[in-house]
Amino acid sequence: MDRCIDTIEWVAAFFVGIVAANIFVAVLLRNLFAVALPDAFDFGRLLLGILIFWGIAATSYRGGHITVDLVWANVGPRWQRNIDVFATLVLLFVVSVQTYTLFDKVRGTYHDNVLTFDLRLPTWPFFAVAWAGDVSAVLLIAIRTWRLIFQPEKLIDRTAGVE
Amino acid sequence: MSTDAVAVIGFVVLFALMLLRVPVGMAMGLVGVSGFAWLVGGGPALKTVGHTSMRTVTDYTFGVIPMFLLMGAFVTNSGMSRELFHAANTFVGHRRGGLGIATIVACGGFAAISGSSVATAATFSAVAYPEMRRYKYPQSFAAGVIAAGGTLGAMLPPSTVLAVYGIITEQDVGKLFIAGVVPGLLAAAMYVVTITVIGLARPGFLPEGPRASARERLAAVQDIWAPLLLFVFVVGGLYGLPFLPRFTPTEAGGVGAAGAFLLGVLRGRLGRNEILRSLLQATRTAAAVFTVLIGALLFGYFLTVTQTPQKVTAFLTGLGLGRYGVLTLIMLMYLLLGCLMDAMAMIILTIPIIFPVVVHLGFDPVWFGVIIVMTVELGLIHPPVGMNVFVIKSVVRDVSFSTIFRGVLPFIATDILRLIILIAFPLLALWLPSKM
Repeated sequence: MDRCIDTIEWVAAFFVGIVAANIFVAVLLRNLFAVALPDAFDFGRLLLGILIFWGIAATSYRGGHITVDLVWANVGPRWQRNIDVFATLVLLFVVSVQTYTLFDKVRGTYHDNVLTFDLRLPTWPFFAVAWAGDVSAVLLIAIRTWRLIFQPEKLIDRTAGVE
Repeated sequence: MSTDAVAVIGFVVLFALMLLRVPVGMAMGLVGVSGFAWLVGGGPALKTVGHTSMRTVTDYTFGVIPMFLLMGAFVTNSGMSRELFHAANTFVGHRRGGLGIATIVACGGFAAISGSSVATAATFSAVAYPEMRRYKYPQSFAAGVIAAGGTLGAMLPPSTVLAVYGIITEQDVGKLFIAGVVPGLLAAAMYVVTITVIGLARPGFLPEGPRASARERLAAVQDIWAPLLLFVFVVGGLYGLPFLPRFTPTEAGGVGAAGAFLLGVLRGRLGRNEILRSLLQATRTAAAVFTVLIGALLFGYFLTVTQTPQKVTAFLTGLGLGRYGVLTLIMLMYLLLGCLMDAMAMIILTIPIIFPVVVHLGFDPVWFGVIIVMTVELGLIHPPVGMNVFVIKSVVRDVSFSTIFRGVLPFIATDILRLIILIAFPLLALWLPSKM
């Protein structure tokens, strides 16, 4: 299970590198050779979508979202666990609704045959991969909820350091 | 039920959910969509969820966030902070409080390539704190200097918080970055003056270090070519300096990340583990920030249908406090919120409501961005919940919170004075952008 979660996180991390490489190569070609990398803009934004949804999946499982810890930090372990279970259930509900509605967006993109600007490639496969990230977020949050209630020792809670 | 009542209930539920540790972005999204559904209808509300989420994560402009985060992660993990600290130390380390001054200068240099306050504070807790303690600097002073120096990360370009402010308020991110230069340098200079004053006022409190030779100084300066090159290339490209290609902010982030990666690898500072760690760090933080962004945009629909920004504007301007009175009220609110939440969450949550007030009062949006980021950064070091203080505590275990907060107090006073100066002289922030 942990290997599966790590893989999800690596998928997102891999796409961060790809997005940076895409931008770098596009800028380099434009400025050194006056050549435009076809669909650099569309690939950049579509890959960004994939990296963020897969990243949200891993972040949700790791407990790395931005939260207000004022109450949580000032109560005992039992109440901390209750608060965590409640927060994770809300998270599960919200991400489930998001996943359901995102599927509509993917389906709409497929039916409308939305294409990239230069290469005229269909965009729906990118949207579908991003949506798959949201589906994995739902699964991981469900696992997190289960573990919080029944196997709390298996969870390592990490808070993201955000500026 | 009236829209006003729905708006009030929405805010009460939002804060209740946040206090119950529901992720800020998710709480905003849930309340925003529920409120919108109550007032407009369930169907349209659900449509906004999928549409807004996908639109946000595939917006090329927002790519600036993960790219600068990745650049900061590469810079942090390739150890450029040590070179900057060493170089600054060879020039000022022999003065009274010189290691503190070196920390501020190095924090400024590091901030200019990392863009993150928390990363700057965490890095220098590991680099500068042991060195200051070795020369018998007091714990409170050493920790206080690092906490204050860390806040430079959000002022000097590239600043992730300023980029997010720019995206939300539709301001030119490049101009915002440049607007942060003079206030950021002013902050560093005022911190240096503060240390000098402490050294003069309390002889014996701050020790002197050994004097470096001219050869050592030259060698140290030669070591900092990499961070210098990166800064000049990224900010120069944004500003459109001669002989440099002109970048959009997202491109500057991507090129900066690739540049930091190449410099790290070619100089043997970034191995496989450091590269993987950097990618993971950037991904985690980007995902957390985008969750708040999506939530804020969904909450924005709720604000629009309840006309909250317009009502808040009418209320605040109707208080009869004058424009600077209202501005003071807004800043006090941010200082108070700084006790509760993270800087990024605070900006994303409140700016859609506060920004129309500021525009209505006739303040410059770019100047206000600088002022508000400075105020929010003050929240990172003031008691009881300064984020930088927690970060230092997590790295340096042998120092208590009260000791760090005691060390930070002189710098809080300096920050308040700097805010007053920038409010009195907006040109300090607006002069450089006006030349773009």
